[in-house]
Amino acid sequence: MREQLLRLWDKLTWTWAPRSERESGEAIVRNLWLHWFPAKIARRSMSWNYSLYLGVAASSLFLILTVTGLLLMMFYVPATNEAYGDMKDLQFAVSFGWLLRNQHRWAAHGMVLVVYLHMARVFFTGAYRGQRFGNWIVGVVLLLATLLLSFTGYLLPWDQLALWAVTVGTNIAREGPVIGETIRYLLLGGTEIGQNALLRFYVLHVFILPVTVWILFGYHMWRVRKDGGLAAIETLRLGRRAAPKTTPPTKSYSLFGLTRGATVQVLSSTDIEEQDEGFSSPELTRRVALVFLLVFNITLLLSLLSNAPLEEAANPALTPNPAKAPWYFLWLQELVASTTISIGSYRISGGLIGGIIVPGILLAALAVWPLFDRSPRSCEGVWFAPERRWQNITFAAITVVIVLLIAVGLGVRGPYWRLYWPGQPWPQMPRGL
Amino acid sequence: MEGRESSESRDFPWLVVLSVGFFVLVALAFWREYHSEWAPLEKRFKQILEQHGRIEDSRRFSIGIRQIWNPQLGVVDRCITCHLGYDWGAVLPAKLAEPFTPHSQLPYLEKHPFPRFGCTVCHGGQGWATEKDAAHSGGEHWDDPMISKELATGYGLTVGQMIQMRCNFCHRHDLSTPGMDEINLAKQLIKKKKCMICHTIEGKGGLVGPELTFHADKSPELFDFSHVTGEKTMFNWDYQHLMDPGKVSLGTTMPTFGFKPEEARALTLLLLSWKHLTFPPQYIPSPIEVAPLMVVRVPAEAPIVPGAEEGRKIFQTRGCNECHTIGAGKLIGPDLIGVGGRHSVDWLRSWLADPAAMIRANPDLAKWPDQFGGIVMPNQNLTPAEISTVIAYLQKL
Repeated sequence: MREQLLRLWDKLTWTWAPRSERESGEAIVRNLWLHWFPAKIARRSMSWNYSLYLGVAASSLFLILTVTGLLLMMFYVPATNEAYGDMKDLQFAVSFGWLLRNQHRWAAHGMVLVVYLHMARVFFTGAYRGQRFGNWIVGVVLLLATLLLSFTGYLLPWDQLALWAVTVGTNIAREGPVIGETIRYLLLGGTEIGQNALLRFYVLHVFILPVTVWILFGYHMWRVRKDGGLAAIETLRLGRRAAPKTTPPTKSYSLFGLTRGATVQVLSSTDIEEQDEGFSSPELTRRVALVFLLVFNITLLLSLLSNAPLEEAANPALTPNPAKAPWYFLWLQELVASTTISIGSYRISGGLIGGIIVPGILLAALAVWPLFDRSPRSCEGVWFAPERRWQNITFAAITVVIVLLIAVGLGVRGPYWRLYWPGQPWPQMPRGL
Repeated sequence: MEGRESSESRDFPWLVVLSVGFFVLVALAFWREYHSEWAPLEKRFKQILEQHGRIEDSRRFSIGIRQIWNPQLGVVDRCITCHLGYDWGAVLPAKLAEPFTPHSQLPYLEKHPFPRFGCTVCHGGQGWATEKDAAHSGGEHWDDPMISKELATGYGLTVGQMIQMRCNFCHRHDLSTPGMDEINLAKQLIKKKKCMICHTIEGKGGLVGPELTFHADKSPELFDFSHVTGEKTMFNWDYQHLMDPGKVSLGTTMPTFGFKPEEARALTLLLLSWKHLTFPPQYIPSPIEVAPLMVVRVPAEAPIVPGAEEGRKIFQTRGCNECHTIGAGKLIGPDLIGVGGRHSVDWLRSWLADPAAMIRANPDLAKWPDQFGGIVMPNQNLTPAEISTVIAYLQKL
């Protein structure tokens, strides 16, 4: 019995801790979870300081979100008269309910941040060119899906924060030309945020968007393999092509005239020398586990330190002052607010500029940027290549502006959207008792 | 193999650190889950039962969250997790200190059994919560605080008086309800001072002042608090406005009724009880003494007199016709037909400028309001020019 159990254990675990190079190679092929990795990977691709493992961190967060989200679904009813009570139950009565909710919340915020950082890494390393352009587009769609996932999840607690953040968000969508109103109607299932909107956001949040992300994530990973791995290897490839093998021919033979020259030069499919490679199992799997542990620990620590916000029950008749969009849309709200011009009683809404035109242009630019990147191929897979200096500065500058706008919206905006410096007290808002 | 070993030797310590961190954090999560505020209290209660020789009861007593759950009323009150006197009051050996004190035996509890009503229906607070601060004050994000001693005394009331406000959530249709002295007084005042001449309550009344049916549901941010002293709460706004309407809302036509502080407090409680709440039918109390229906009265149009259209307009828009008829007899104030012949222009001018001041200045007018139920005509804050046009109109009647 004990013998059988040990054998079973060994069967389940040997691929994660291979004892020989032969086992390392087989480990990848024999394991469902590992076979999307190549058996051997360039050490440069696995290095910490090339990719920073941001993609692994993002998918770790998504795994945490999927598991906590599935558990949260056991306690949540997407009904306007029950959802808020379910939040209170999770907070006060459900065993580890606070942990589920906190971890889901902080992991969701973290995922928006990490997915953006992952994209920034790909941009700064110029790793989006040539055949990798397709995967860049998939990445942009994944970023959008992440934002939408976070935004749809924002409404579900059905508290004042949720209701009014989504009100701000969907009112920006309304400013879209021609179809803005229709999109908002479609999203909300009506003209007001009510039961229909809650149900639609719920279905989007727990089914349509996560399934989309899982499928696109699978495709994203498959494309990485098909594109030959991370762009970090491109410099290796270039170096190898520039300096072909100079091993002296020990034996000359013509392969039935199939190859040119006197020797056979076989370039492996990855064009990488054996000494530059390592086995995926256990070198890569160990690092993936490390990153997952790190990410899990951080979300757990945040969940212990800070509770997910929950305000009063949603009340369409009572607007909190100030009403703010979720932080990742706050830069848009800030743009809308600062491009709204009032001349006397005549008011030009900034919704079109700040809510549609600016983000629309930025998104379009993001999608087509690789097509206009004319830097030499030697910049591919290199951090901050000097030839791409101006591109990187542009990207960084836009990021800094977005971060500053978010910081203003988050930290400095008070009641009536006026500026209150940190430490400066907000005026006391009137209340009932 | 060189690279593989170096990668392993570099990563392994981190793997150890993060794994240890993982176990520490998971342990902390368990600690937080089991380190609740209520569990030690329940354990102490179990010990108390043992100390008093109630071994059987102590064995029967289980540690866990308790709640009064009434889905019909939307009540989830976990107060009884700590306030164990609720469930165990009968077996309690002696009078214990809070939170174990049993609920005091109040006469109306017979008609309001706890399992049907829960705790927060009367006391307010956050029934969902299992932590003291969140349950009592409601924490930062709960707009229905528990009626605590501090809250009530801050407004010059006792807890019992202030809770009457919540009784009236359901009993709003009673004219008077036993045990609700504050609210009963306020309802009498509403009738006596004829508030519904100007204010609409439940579809009846005048349109001069704001509608009051669901006054407690109005957003506090819609009110001007710049002339309110103390904390910016609706209670303070209503109370100070009732004591001196002109001080809180400048230029209001609402007269100063000279309420005593306790009267103004009672009226404030009544105003704050007027919420839009829906109950299952079996919770709607049968009225103990029904308020009589007030006849809806549409004020008559003031007659058009050629050459005095401006004055007529003011007469209509300022709501003069709510209290005065022209030729249809005494209403709240006197019939104004032929008023120009009864009083001089100067008399009318100083009366319209400030009725209360004129009564104070002329002793022979002191008894004047008695024939109109003691109501002094409110100052309408008309400008001298407006007064002249109104007088020009009145003289032609």
